[in-house]
Amino acid sequence: AQCQQYLTVSALVLCMDVGFSMSNSAPGEEPPFELAKKVIQKFVQRQVFAETKDELALVLFGTDSTKNPLDQDGQYQNITIHRHLMMPDFELLEEIQNQIHPESQQADWLDALVVCMDLLQRETKGKKYDRLNIVLLTDLNTGASADHLDVIIENLKKDGITLQFFLPFPVEEDEEGGGDADRRGPSHPGMGKGLSREQKNSMDMMKHIMLSLDEEDGLDQIYTFTNAIEQLCMFKRIERRPMSWPCQLTIGSSLSIRIVGYKAVTEEKLKKLWISVDAQTNKREDLKRETVYCLDDDNETEVQKDDTIQGFRYGSDIVPFSKVDQEQMKYTHDGKCFAVLGFTKQSLVHRHQFIGNQVIKIFAPKDDEEWPCRPSSGRWHELKMVAIVRYAYDRRSNPQVGAAFPCIKQDYECLLYVQLPFTEDLRQFTFPSLENNKKFTPSDTQLSAVDSLIDSMMLVEENENGEQVDMFKVHQLPNPAFQRHFQCLHHRAVSPGTPLPPMEPWLKAALERPEVISERCQAPLEEMRKTFPLTEVEKKKKVKTSAQLFGKDSEEPDAKKAKGDEEEEEYNLADIAEGSVTSQLTHRIEQLLSNKNTQYYMKSITCIQAFREQSIEVKKKKNTLTIFHLRKYIMIGLEVFWDLLVQGTISLFTWDCRISLKSFLP
Amino acid sequence: MAEWNAYYHNEDEEEEQEEGEQSGGDYKVTGRDSLVFLVDASKEMFIKGEDGQPSNFDMTMEVVRSVYTSKIISSHRDLVALVFYGTEQSKNPRNSFKHVYVYHDLDEPGAKRVRDVDGLQGDKGAQLAADTMGSGETSLGDALWCCANLYSDIKLRLSHKRLMIFTCRDDPHGDDSTKDRQARTKASDLKETGVVIDLMHMMKPGGFDVSLFFCDIVSPPEDESELGLQLEPCDKLDDLKKRVRAKEQKKRTMSRLNLCLGKGINVAVGMYATAVMTRKPSAIRLYRETNEPVRSKTRTFHTQTGSLLLPSEIKKAQVYGKKQIVMERDEVDTIKRFDDPGLLLMGFKPMEKLKLHHHIRPAVFLYPEEDEVKGSTCLFSALLMKCREKNVFALCRCISRRNYPPRFVALVPQKEEVDHGKVQITPPGFNAIFLPYADDIRTVDAPQCPVASQMQVNKMKEIVSKLRFKYRSDAFENPVVQQHYRNLEALALDMMAPEDTEDLIMPKVEQIDQRLGPLVQEFKDLVYPNGYNPESKPAAKRKTADTGGGAEKKPKMEVSEDELKAHMQNGTLGKLTVPILKEACKQFGIRTTGTKKQELLDALTARLGS
Repeated sequence: AQCQQYLTVSALVLCMDVGFSMSNSAPGEEPPFELAKKVIQKFVQRQVFAETKDELALVLFGTDSTKNPLDQDGQYQNITIHRHLMMPDFELLEEIQNQIHPESQQADWLDALVVCMDLLQRETKGKKYDRLNIVLLTDLNTGASADHLDVIIENLKKDGITLQFFLPFPVEEDEEGGGDADRRGPSHPGMGKGLSREQKNSMDMMKHIMLSLDEEDGLDQIYTFTNAIEQLCMFKRIERRPMSWPCQLTIGSSLSIRIVGYKAVTEEKLKKLWISVDAQTNKREDLKRETVYCLDDDNETEVQKDDTIQGFRYGSDIVPFSKVDQEQMKYTHDGKCFAVLGFTKQSLVHRHQFIGNQVIKIFAPKDDEEWPCRPSSGRWHELKMVAIVRYAYDRRSNPQVGAAFPCIKQDYECLLYVQLPFTEDLRQFTFPSLENNKKFTPSDTQLSAVDSLIDSMMLVEENENGEQVDMFKVHQLPNPAFQRHFQCLHHRAVSPGTPLPPMEPWLKAALERPEVISERCQAPLEEMRKTFPLTEVEKKKKVKTSAQLFGKDSEEPDAKKAKGDEEEEEYNLADIAEGSVTSQLTHRIEQLLSNKNTQYYMKSITCIQAFREQSIEVKKKKNTLTIFHLRKYIMIGLEVFWDLLVQGTISLFTWDCRISLKSFLP
Repeated sequence: MAEWNAYYHNEDEEEEQEEGEQSGGDYKVTGRDSLVFLVDASKEMFIKGEDGQPSNFDMTMEVVRSVYTSKIISSHRDLVALVFYGTEQSKNPRNSFKHVYVYHDLDEPGAKRVRDVDGLQGDKGAQLAADTMGSGETSLGDALWCCANLYSDIKLRLSHKRLMIFTCRDDPHGDDSTKDRQARTKASDLKETGVVIDLMHMMKPGGFDVSLFFCDIVSPPEDESELGLQLEPCDKLDDLKKRVRAKEQKKRTMSRLNLCLGKGINVAVGMYATAVMTRKPSAIRLYRETNEPVRSKTRTFHTQTGSLLLPSEIKKAQVYGKKQIVMERDEVDTIKRFDDPGLLLMGFKPMEKLKLHHHIRPAVFLYPEEDEVKGSTCLFSALLMKCREKNVFALCRCISRRNYPPRFVALVPQKEEVDHGKVQITPPGFNAIFLPYADDIRTVDAPQCPVASQMQVNKMKEIVSKLRFKYRSDAFENPVVQQHYRNLEALALDMMAPEDTEDLIMPKVEQIDQRLGPLVQEFKDLVYPNGYNPESKPAAKRKTADTGGGAEKKPKMEVSEDELKAHMQNGTLGKLTVPILKEACKQFGIRTTGTKKQELLDALTARLGS
């Protein structure tokens, strides 16, 4: 059923009034036209980035020209179908941005509605849609004839079309013809002069339609422009349908309980990744990325990928370990599993030791009518215990150890599964004690300053009704990274060649302290400033990293640098001996060694000796670097040669050096 | 299913961001860490404890082994050495020290070293030690000097140098005050070069008196409060392991940030990853012919001209529908930039506002950095105390690195805890818990199910209490990672087969069954309808029900009023199947609108109860 649901699409017609009255506004206010355009932009944006399959059409009324199939005998004039029903794309966004302007005519909004209904009927024929919707954005400032109102309502009902109105002003249920509009008028844009007779008249008709369609909540589908902009600005959340994971919860060998798991919380990432394109042509095909493998020698001799095998590091050893062997020897298990290892006090499972990046909610299976109850899920929460379980998603994935917390809510019960660390994952750091240290013990004045700071910055407060109000709910904030990302993409898509826009003000504000708080904490902060002297320590010269010492690009990202470390040690042979003699020597030594014959070994050792002298002369860097370079010969299977080196039959290395050589032997 | 798989199967290709944020080490400012085990090899060390307890020497070797293997897995680039003193034989660079035996030079630990240490354990190990090294005179001064040479012979940059002395003799030189003095001098020389000397002293009859000699050898505590010296000697392997581990693990900050309370009030804090998922390491490519590692180079070139492209000749793009949106590379970075790295205090919330299920990634630990901003520790400490006292957490906006988008974290105060041996088990500081955004929370429709009866719940409670155990976070090894390393070990050491790994996260089914005894059946009787098999597929089950045929089934469905009442009193009404319940409703002429089990149950209960 879920699959079916996923495939169905809805069809939506945006019907916008561009007539002359939409440009009227009180001084200092944005005209309704601009607001309505913003609503449409935001809405289409959302659809485009969400890449939904929903289809969308755009109808304008009040246009100078007329373009619609009902245009006959002077009927349905000044109504234009700007775009037929299809998936929204950037073209539409561009058109909205560049082609929709206020025009000088007026048209009957009921006529426009009929054009929209007609459009839906024609263009959805033969296809399945799960929802048909018309959105009207207008100031209702045109005299509409109520002649066919009942027919229209009848048809809306018959076709199952839902309606939404977006107006420049609010509508109240008990409002009689806008009689009390003056009371709140000036505060709301578009209400400056109160409502005209046409508007009042239209309003009644609109209400009549909406209440006919939905007796109870019909008026909930009437919004104001400003309202809509605020609500739409949050780009559609990256929506993922929860996938069910049916399994058995087992306790011992004979007790099993059917369960179904859903990922409930997980760190969502953007679905799309950046691709690289050629800067000139903007074409992806013009670029080609290629990875080559090369030997660790001075010539960086390239080798084919097929000539490489995989290996793993075991401490100082590198162990060749083919994929096949790895597959055969790797840890295997029985697959899907949610098995209780035991129960433990909840206080022993520390929140800060949660690992992984998700929380799974475990329920009783939905479709199982026979599942008699849910005693397994929680209910033992009174004991303050949690289950420690072995969890494996399937046969191919790695098993985890985790905790299942009973979670009892008003309308459901479930288990919350969170992964817990393995021994290998833990870093038990110790830090100097803070409490017993006189040097850092805060004074009473300092403590009371912190005390009042905390009091002034409480984000959760009780309101007059004694209810707790949380003024900063992180879990209701859309991920700002996504919002900004889409804002910039949109901008670049519709206005290429212009610099990226600044962050939207609402987003910026959402990431700052709530205004109430920042005002309230001024005085306590001042007190803090006085009581806690803080002085930035003059930065000592940063210790040079090996990378910097060796003159590598210091702008490299950190991660690379860590990797680079090792390379430095092994490859800097060339660096220490800049003279061409050494590089020739290296080459020669390797040539000699490739013969794998004692006689050649002796020759190579002579070379190495020369090499070593050269190295010391050049940079005064001693054996280590040389040794590191030589190390690879262990791998080549030149044990005899190596033994010669290590045993010290040649007075080449000093004692300590020989010892360290020895330890390299596998 | 696709997305579940996507998560689980990408484990080899770690995500870039995660790598950056959780690699948990600032290698740039540090070099390699080094650790020297200086172990007493005198006869006293080999004396077995009572009741076949392992000797002090055995315990030490066990600890050394565990440090070796954990280094191999977690930080193989650290250098470790194993040196014995008080030996008969000598073996050290230049052989200039008598009675000092360098068993392992300062180097990265590998498979062979692990085997070596294994070889020194148990009776055979004691024999081997006696044969190769023997026990002889003691000169700690010489031993320390020798260790000093080990350090000075290393040409790599060492960030942290530590030396641990394992002994059970508090007065190693007897009455020889010259040797005492020499040892003190050498110890202070070492300390001057930045080596931290720790004493891991073990039980001996009559107690270990640190003040006799060793108090002058070991490094002074890091700060005045810390108990630098464990006054109690260790007599348990676990304690010793814990002590060694507590000392051995280096603290590396992921980043140093300012915690901004308000304009101009910046507290410097370090961020530490205390729990990082250890994964199988990634493979290294080797050249088939020689088994030497190869380097990979990735380059981007122009398809037509074949010329290599500079970063400036590449732009980034995303495609939506048919539209390609192009940006400069630096624009892609600026989009992610919201502010400078740092923590900005938003306010405080009561602890109960921190939801258990608001978990998206492992927490990090915060501790003040007095070296960056003087006064940080004091303010941090005051904040910590007050947050604990008021039972609140601090909500902060966190930008952990340059060009990282903001996340919100809850700073949860953590009190310092020490165990009976005065070893710190939880450090003082804040745990920063990452909070989810709206996008990270998925809507999951909770299925409606009947409520369990008190009897059923009680039965479950019995089961729960039978299976109680004390959870310890370090009790479970990762079987996947362990198996991988065992395999490598076997290959590296040419073993016939890898050592067996015990899968510690396998339920101990037999024990559980035994402990539960008849409880399982009792629970099932209370909860499941007769013949219910939770392991069968629901669809299959329905089929069999249908094939039964109406005529035959009907009589079975009927339940007498008495039976129903009995069920109700016992709270086992829920055990009955939906068809039976429906039938019962019909029987009593109850009109039910719903077909949901709970609705049927409610209707019946209402009727029968009245």
